[in-house]
Amino acid sequence: MSSSQMEPVATSVAVPAPTVEEVERPGVATGKPRSLFSDAMHDLRHNPIFWVALVLSLLVIVMAAFPSLFTPNNPADCQLNRQHAGPNGWAIFGYNFQGCDIFARSVYGARISVEVGFLSIAVLGTIALLIGVTGGYFGGWADAVLSRITEIVLGVPYLLAGIVLAKRLSAGQSSGIWTVVFVIGVLSWTTACRVVRSSVITAKNQDYVAAARMLGAGHARIMLRHILPNALAPFVVVLTIALGTAISTEATLTFLGIGIKPSGDGSTISWGLDISGAVPHVRESATPLIVPSVFLSVTVLSFIMLGDAIRDAFDPKLR
Amino acid sequence: MFRYIVRRLLQGVLTFFGATFIVYALMFANQDDPLQALAGERPVTPAVRQYLTDYYHLNDPFLKQYGYYMKGLLTGDLGQSIGRNRPIKDLLMDAWPITLKLSIIAIIFAALLGVTAGVVAGIRRAGVFDYVTLLIALFLISLPFIVLAPMAQYLFGVELKIFPVTTGGNPSLYKLLLPGMALGTVALAVTLRLTRTSVTENLRADYVRTARAKGLSRQRIIGVHVLRNSLIPIITYLGVSLGDLMAGAIITEGVFNIPGVGFNLFQGIRTEDGPRVVGFVSVLVIIFIITNLVVDILYAVLDPRIRYE
Amino acid sequence: MTTDIKTEIDFLPETDSSAALLEVRDLHVEFRTRDGVAHAVNGARFRLQSGQTLAILGESGCGKSVTAQAIMGILDTPPGFVTKGEVLYRGVDLLKLSEDERRRVRANKIAMIFQDALSALNPVFTVGFQLGEVFRKHLGMSRADAKKRAIELLDMVRIPAAAQRVNNYPHQFSGGMRQRVMIAMALALDPEVLIADEPTTALDVTVQAQIMKLLAELQAERNMGLILITHDMGVVADVADWISVMYAGRVVEEAPVHDIYARPAHPYTKALLESIPRLDLKGQQLNVIKGLPPNLTAIPSGCAFHPRCRYARDACRVDPPPPLYETGSGTTAACHFWKEVRGGE
Repeated sequence: MSSSQMEPVATSVAVPAPTVEEVERPGVATGKPRSLFSDAMHDLRHNPIFWVALVLSLLVIVMAAFPSLFTPNNPADCQLNRQHAGPNGWAIFGYNFQGCDIFARSVYGARISVEVGFLSIAVLGTIALLIGVTGGYFGGWADAVLSRITEIVLGVPYLLAGIVLAKRLSAGQSSGIWTVVFVIGVLSWTTACRVVRSSVITAKNQDYVAAARMLGAGHARIMLRHILPNALAPFVVVLTIALGTAISTEATLTFLGIGIKPSGDGSTISWGLDISGAVPHVRESATPLIVPSVFLSVTVLSFIMLGDAIRDAFDPKLR
Repeated sequence: MFRYIVRRLLQGVLTFFGATFIVYALMFANQDDPLQALAGERPVTPAVRQYLTDYYHLNDPFLKQYGYYMKGLLTGDLGQSIGRNRPIKDLLMDAWPITLKLSIIAIIFAALLGVTAGVVAGIRRAGVFDYVTLLIALFLISLPFIVLAPMAQYLFGVELKIFPVTTGGNPSLYKLLLPGMALGTVALAVTLRLTRTSVTENLRADYVRTARAKGLSRQRIIGVHVLRNSLIPIITYLGVSLGDLMAGAIITEGVFNIPGVGFNLFQGIRTEDGPRVVGFVSVLVIIFIITNLVVDILYAVLDPRIRYE
Repeated sequence: MTTDIKTEIDFLPETDSSAALLEVRDLHVEFRTRDGVAHAVNGARFRLQSGQTLAILGESGCGKSVTAQAIMGILDTPPGFVTKGEVLYRGVDLLKLSEDERRRVRANKIAMIFQDALSALNPVFTVGFQLGEVFRKHLGMSRADAKKRAIELLDMVRIPAAAQRVNNYPHQFSGGMRQRVMIAMALALDPEVLIADEPTTALDVTVQAQIMKLLAELQAERNMGLILITHDMGVVADVADWISVMYAGRVVEEAPVHDIYARPAHPYTKALLESIPRLDLKGQQLNVIKGLPPNLTAIPSGCAFHPRCRYARDACRVDPPPPLYETGSGTTAACHFWKEVRGGE
């Protein structure tokens, strides 16, 4: 009889309850069973896309935090007599329609995108966590109500709702970051919420939760110690992907004119603004369109690919 | 089946009222100065103020205002555009057929190419074709549309000069090809992945083994048995994708200068033409609800198992 | 009742009417997976005559379904490959035919029914469509004619209100009815061999009995050869003429049904019989065969059953594995010590 069929469940306080299923690789005569976690880390380490995405993501974050490391030029320094001029020193891509340094603008543009991105996922993550854990853990009519709400928000066409909401919130004054963050956060939490909810439900039904409850643990303790660690991994995955999507949405809303609105002195810099400004002049010069587009795409794609790679590595169905 | 349709219809009506109320409320409720909100950043003269107050019944209680709005919506009177000074209904009528053509091109492009490539990828699972197309599809889905549309315009219009760069008024079908294909690109990628997954799953199904035991040819098994099952999620997706298509149309029409529904919306936002934005968004929401309804019914037609619930 | 419509398909002129209806010789099938090569079938052999019922008995994973699929030619290739052996239909080796010819043999000459009729039938097409398909594609019948034949088939398997039910979908039938539909579909073109892969495993006991009775009647009417694949010894006793017991991809005992029950000659067969719960032994502990079936990528050397066998000796643990010893006229057992097994406790 194969003795490794039953693994003892760790119940000591120091080691948290098993957060992943212990799965044996079928058919291979190895001595010790390999866990899903170690399988996943192994796959991840050997996945080139993971590394590329990770490096690029970190690069973008650094660029957002310390733009002056990448260019000494001032992105707001625009002189019309340099309109569509060619490369010059650090302005490696030349100048755009208004005579601004394309490269510098793209470098500094990372800041707003990354800021909006992280703030948005903070908002949407919080909402998703609250609703997902409440609905998943307590079930019953609370879950029913919250699920209906989720469906309604899910049913609304995203951009249309974003337009109406943003319009309503900005109503004339110059739109700050928080409007955009609010719009994105309030409309995008549904996917993350579903993921949280299903993890919570799965975790809730595990034996060790019943055991904890029998030992007298209260709801809060169970949720914190046993449920959350299980829900964490898929939640992180979905948040990473949501980060990429949020950055893309910010750029889109800004492109349409309802996101970050430019302040008069040119100090507001966003890839969305640069792209929308470059489109009407694409016949004169394509560089002002291409450069911010590439920056935006690489940023969005790295976060999405990163999340995807982690998810694929942890998906037991793909074994 | 009948009960299913009736149930969905009732749900649709409910959603209709709910959604329009939300749109209306968001735009008009609790405004300090609703007239200013309507006019955006334009200054409002007393005469215009009076006119707008009467026209929009702004001195009436909120729910009554909503009532007038709904009545207008249902009878086709959407009010007057501030920026263009024409009835919004006329603007809609002009813009509508163009966006329809654009969307049809997008869906046909996505469906034909997506299903074909997806079937091939599904049959040749784990082959080179499969990996490459999946990667490209993921790339296309994740790429922000505001990058894809202008880049398509630049590459195929300006650089390679295959298609006209912008379309201008009353565009022909040919001029709408490039924007249509750009619009359909995301749907294409999703359709491809959906088809591939669906085909792969269905190829493993037991009924395929039975079909082989019956001595049916491979073409028939894939072309009739597998495809019919695989198409169910695909067709329902394509119906649902209309929502994304609408969002994409706003950007596409903006980039390519197509005077469609999206462009009007785009302009309306830019020129702070409140009534136009509200009117168009309301109509789009209605269309969205109707398509969802049609898709649900279609799903029951395609999958007999749903019909008898 | 259908013999007058049956058309003779002469695409296999080389058939030998004196040979056995179906004969399988030394069949080897392997599955190449990323965890290694699984030897699913290792030298299987069978012989079937018209009007005879052969039951292939064994646990899950012993290779019986794979053998059936190899006979039909519907093995998933890759990862499955037939590496050796012959499948002789009236003397013609099916494994050497082209895919086109094999396709025509299916349903026309050799047909198969499966375990779970709900998943084995296409959910989006009516039963009439799926039945009629066989006629339309193999005989070129029109839709109208095919539909009429479909209704006749449903009648034949005793489905009431056939004319209405022909327009129903599979999920609208009960489990037993669905299995009848599958049987009807398999027998549409009057095949000479029917392979039934665990046809009653997913059904209630009473429905099981009805289906087995139906199969027996249909077989008698047509003088068909029936191969019944199962792990349930109870089902087999009434229906089979001849039993082949399989273990780890090999046939380990062949005998007429009464001999198998009365005087098993292989330890595995004996253990299977002993593990059947018996009412008269109520209160005693159930016998089980200790251990698990072998991992097909790592089959034990010598006799594959030796780790679980109470008669195992040193000779059993080394290669070559025991051949099929003659234990009587036509009966065999793959055990060095079969005499002891048959004689002893």
